[in-house]
Amino acid sequence: MLKISDYLDVKKRAQEIGCNVPETLALIPRNFESARSKEDLVHESSALTVRKLWQQNNIIETPIEKPGEKLPLVAEAAFEWIGPTIFVSAMLLSQNPNLVAIALNVISNYLTDWFRGVVKETRKVKLNVIVETKDGDYKKLEYEGPPEGLKNLSGVIKAVCKKNE
Amino acid sequence: MSREIDELIGEFERLTEDCAKFLFITRGKEFQQEAVEKLSALKQKISLFKEKAVEKEDEDSANLALSLELFISAFISELEMWMELKEDNPNKAWDYLADAQLFARDAAQAHRIVQERAERYANKLYLLEKLLFPPQIFLSPGFIHTKEECSICGKEYGECEHIKGKAYMGKICHTIMKDIEIKEVSFVNEPAGKYRRVLQLTDEHGITRDLMTWKRIEKVD
Repeated sequence: MLKISDYLDVKKRAQEIGCNVPETLALIPRNFESARSKEDLVHESSALTVRKLWQQNNIIETPIEKPGEKLPLVAEAAFEWIGPTIFVSAMLLSQNPNLVAIALNVISNYLTDWFRGVVKETRKVKLNVIVETKDGDYKKLEYEGPPEGLKNLSGVIKAVCKKNE
Repeated sequence: MSREIDELIGEFERLTEDCAKFLFITRGKEFQQEAVEKLSALKQKISLFKEKAVEKEDEDSANLALSLELFISAFISELEMWMELKEDNPNKAWDYLADAQLFARDAAQAHRIVQERAERYANKLYLLEKLLFPPQIFLSPGFIHTKEECSICGKEYGECEHIKGKAYMGKICHTIMKDIEIKEVSFVNEPAGKYRRVLQLTDEHGITRDLMTWKRIEKVD
């Protein structure tokens, strides 16, 4: 299942609450839209794993946290894997569109192993992606489904951007 | 070491095949108990092999041994489940089934050697859950925490190179949450562990029942 909706101006919001402005690829806190202040922000606990996977695959992220800052983590003890919200800038999409596909593939491959020994019908992933379009709009893609479906997300991201060109 | 591995795998295959014939409710408890003992002895042998592999820093062998150990643990738990069911202890039997499911999952993740077999076995355990037990109401807590420690190196999880769910030198990487604040408890269909479930329910007439057996539970004043 994939739902697409409008999202707030990520860069403006990051500035407003005193975070780094994400330039390329970044992990956005779960409550980025609704947090009253920077102190309220929380990441999904899967954010740490995604960051490590990206680092180990030479995928560079521009974190919204300032150096040395750490956000609290939220974890739910359910069988589904809840991923962090991923931000993809318009600049990254125009300069290096393949990187988005690689970043999602890295997560998808990890999840293939992570779900081993779990009955196929119960394997479920939730992952949100915020895309900045060329004309400065922001779209939120909410994916919920099997881990293999993540590999198709990069195509949807490109299509969402083209629609807005 | 490779000859020793081959011998262990051979022994593992022979014994699990032999013990599989006792994974039924109709089998005599004495045979199931004997199977548990034989499997436990092999598990111990594999643990010793794993220790040697760790000493030699042979990661592949250590992970392979871990995978075999976990698969055997899953088998033992299933045998215990059948024995508890025969003793009319469905709640205990459920816990053994939940153990078996977690062991089978970890066995599939630890090494490719039993991956396919462990995945097939996990499917069987899922079917047993659905066929043998009434539907359960699971509870899943949601936490906020500020620290996560890596079970492999003890460092903060965000700062080491280990990845959750992967095997390293005979151990699966987990994280230990620190400075926890419970945020909520919700009802879920598929929880991470199937131990957290509703045990009793009281109906509109004030009758409390065990959700597994449907037996009435009398209130103690």
